[in-house]
Amino acid sequence: MSAIPEQIELPKNYLSAIKEALDEEMARNEDMICLGEDIGILGGAFGVTEGLLAKYGKHRVYDMPIAEAAIVGVATGAALNGKTVMAEMQFIDFISCGFDQIVNMLATYHYRTAGDVAPGVVIRGPAGAYGGGALYHSQMNEAWFCNSPGLKVVCPSTPYDAKGLMKACLRDQNPVVFFEIKELYRKREIEQFLPEEDYIVPLGKAAVRREGTDLTLVSYGQNVWHCLTVAETLAEEGVSAEVIDLRTLVPLDEDAVFASLEKTNRVVVVNEAPMTCGFAGEVVARICDKAFPFLDAPPVRVTRMDTPVPWVKPLETYVLPSVEKILDASRRVLRY
Amino acid sequence: MKAKSAKDAHHGLPSGKLTPEERLEALRQLYLARYFDVRLIKEKKRGRLRGTLYSSHNQEAVLVGSLFGLRPYDWISPIHRDMPAFFLKDLRSGWTDPNRMGMSIEEVCAQVWGKVGSPGRARDNWSHIGSKRAHIIHSTSMLAGTIPVAAGAVLADRLNGGDAVVLTYNGEGSTAQGIFHEAINFAAIHKLPVITLVENNQWAYGTPYELGCPTKDVADRAKGYGIPGVVADGQDVFDVYDKVMVAVDYARAGKGPSIVECKTYRAYGHGDHDDDRAAKYRDPKEVARGRKRDPIAVAKARLISLGDLTKDEADKYRPEGKNASEVTDEDFPPEVVDYMKKGIEFALESPLPDPVEGGMWVFREDV
Ligand SMILES: Cc1ncc(C[n+]2csc(CCOP(=O)(O)OP(=O)(O)O)c2C)c(N)n1
Repeated sequence: MSAIPEQIELPKNYLSAIKEALDEEMARNEDMICLGEDIGILGGAFGVTEGLLAKYGKHRVYDMPIAEAAIVGVATGAALNGKTVMAEMQFIDFISCGFDQIVNMLATYHYRTAGDVAPGVVIRGPAGAYGGGALYHSQMNEAWFCNSPGLKVVCPSTPYDAKGLMKACLRDQNPVVFFEIKELYRKREIEQFLPEEDYIVPLGKAAVRREGTDLTLVSYGQNVWHCLTVAETLAEEGVSAEVIDLRTLVPLDEDAVFASLEKTNRVVVVNEAPMTCGFAGEVVARICDKAFPFLDAPPVRVTRMDTPVPWVKPLETYVLPSVEKILDASRRVLRY
Repeated sequence: MKAKSAKDAHHGLPSGKLTPEERLEALRQLYLARYFDVRLIKEKKRGRLRGTLYSSHNQEAVLVGSLFGLRPYDWISPIHRDMPAFFLKDLRSGWTDPNRMGMSIEEVCAQVWGKVGSPGRARDNWSHIGSKRAHIIHSTSMLAGTIPVAAGAVLADRLNGGDAVVLTYNGEGSTAQGIFHEAINFAAIHKLPVITLVENNQWAYGTPYELGCPTKDVADRAKGYGIPGVVADGQDVFDVYDKVMVAVDYARAGKGPSIVECKTYRAYGHGDHDDDRAAKYRDPKEVARGRKRDPIAVAKARLISLGDLTKDEADKYRPEGKNASEVTDEDFPPEVVDYMKKGIEFALESPLPDPVEGGMWVFREDV
């Protein structure tokens, strides 16, 4: 019988990557505390905070009452007084109950104190559709926060990025809203080996997920994976598509998008939220403002329809972006 | 002066332990709060100020009485009607002490005049200030929104081994906000030293008490959180002091939050823009009743009965019962007038911010 190794290095899923980031930052920074509903004894609805209470104690991990506004407000006050705070929204949909505290209290702090108070608060939570979560467990409401100056907005699509971005956010003394894609939490296909050593993924830097010369697909979160599938299909047809994962929406790495466009001259931008005032619209507007000469075709958006997210699968599929819809849009842009 | 034993007069209450000098200082701070208010009303009438003034006239005993017993490092969280609180905080440690942990009258006036000398460099108006150094939570327009922030600040303080308390100021109207409940509920669960001071001046803008609060007293709401709720005479600086000190000691000892409701009355309209309409929506008889016990007069009567002050001394300065248009500088002690004058001079000399500052400090950049 061969000896059983003490520890086998396994690839990590997206959820464990975030869990590791929280754990390592809690260990690194004694001034970090965590607030959220059911995050202690239970370890979080999805298990992201499992083990933290046992390891760091009830004075660093708080099971909070069901009161999102209080969670954000208390996080803000503790950060004002020197703490780094992770505040979990059980589902990102419920962030609306703490909206005032986020956009008026937290987001404005640094501005209205002329730089005296930089509240280090990371608000994170599971976001996104595709799992039949229906209206109140499916939203991507990132645009609400991108439109509120003073907040950084982050949305990783891989385990490596999820860990590295989370660490970067917890070290950044600015408030961040961190969108975790719950459909990616335990997805086997995207598991990755993570470096053993400490690393961060800097905020404000996009990633080129696939290189190409004929078309640029820009997205973030779940739809990055749809775009990669689209790129593969197009490759079979002889079209070379580049896929850009924005990773951070605020601050936005627009240069990465423009650099890609300079090569490809055609672009499709995909976001999961509704089209009206969604983030894809922002990306397209910046392209038109600043990179118009690179364009050989009008930029096109693929987004959710301007509807809530319905429950049953056929309806949900109907309103959300999909591989087919992105493929359609790509062909339109390529034909133009 | 015939000195009675303070202990007899106060039945062993915290104010019974104040020295005559301290009690006279409380009166002086009432003058100061009143002078700040009437002076700004006059400045506004002269067209020297922009924005809306939310007068604290007739409510000064709540401010002075609640702040009088705090330690310098304690936190406060004032709102729109509490502007004097910003410079009254820690004033007992010396009117001229540059190291005291309150904001200076200069900083506050610079805020009022919208100049760079304010801690927020004139980024928001009037009472929307605060100071980390002075342990004053920065207020916003969102009523009751600072209570969870106050709770978070003392939570952090506790984790660092401190024993600071925080006193939050709230109008009775603001107690209807959901965040008021969320914040106190949380503070009660963790026995955080959060004292919710309710300035019940009977009117929330144009809405009377009974259309905003279903309970007889706001203090009754405390029962729902399993915490103490007491009512103080908001016209009597020493009653406010006594009730707040009990709450402060309770909180500092780790026993948790409480609500102290101070019954008072709003002298004018909600803001100075509302004075004319307020004269119509409020019964003049009610207004007269509400203003009958001017906090300065009530304090003087107490000091006379204790022998701290003679009738003649009490009559030397007489702003009580008068509106801003009726008082002159002679109605106030000269040191009070001078104090405010310094603030105004500083504000007038302080420059306006450079317009490019409007685009600065959205994010902290050095991280
Ligand atoms: C959340 C919120 N809603 C409405 C307002 C507008 N507003 C400002 S002051 C005020 C009345 C406040 O009454 P109260 O809390 O009793 O305090 P007072 O002005 O009487 O001292 C209102 C409605 C606000 N600032 N914030």
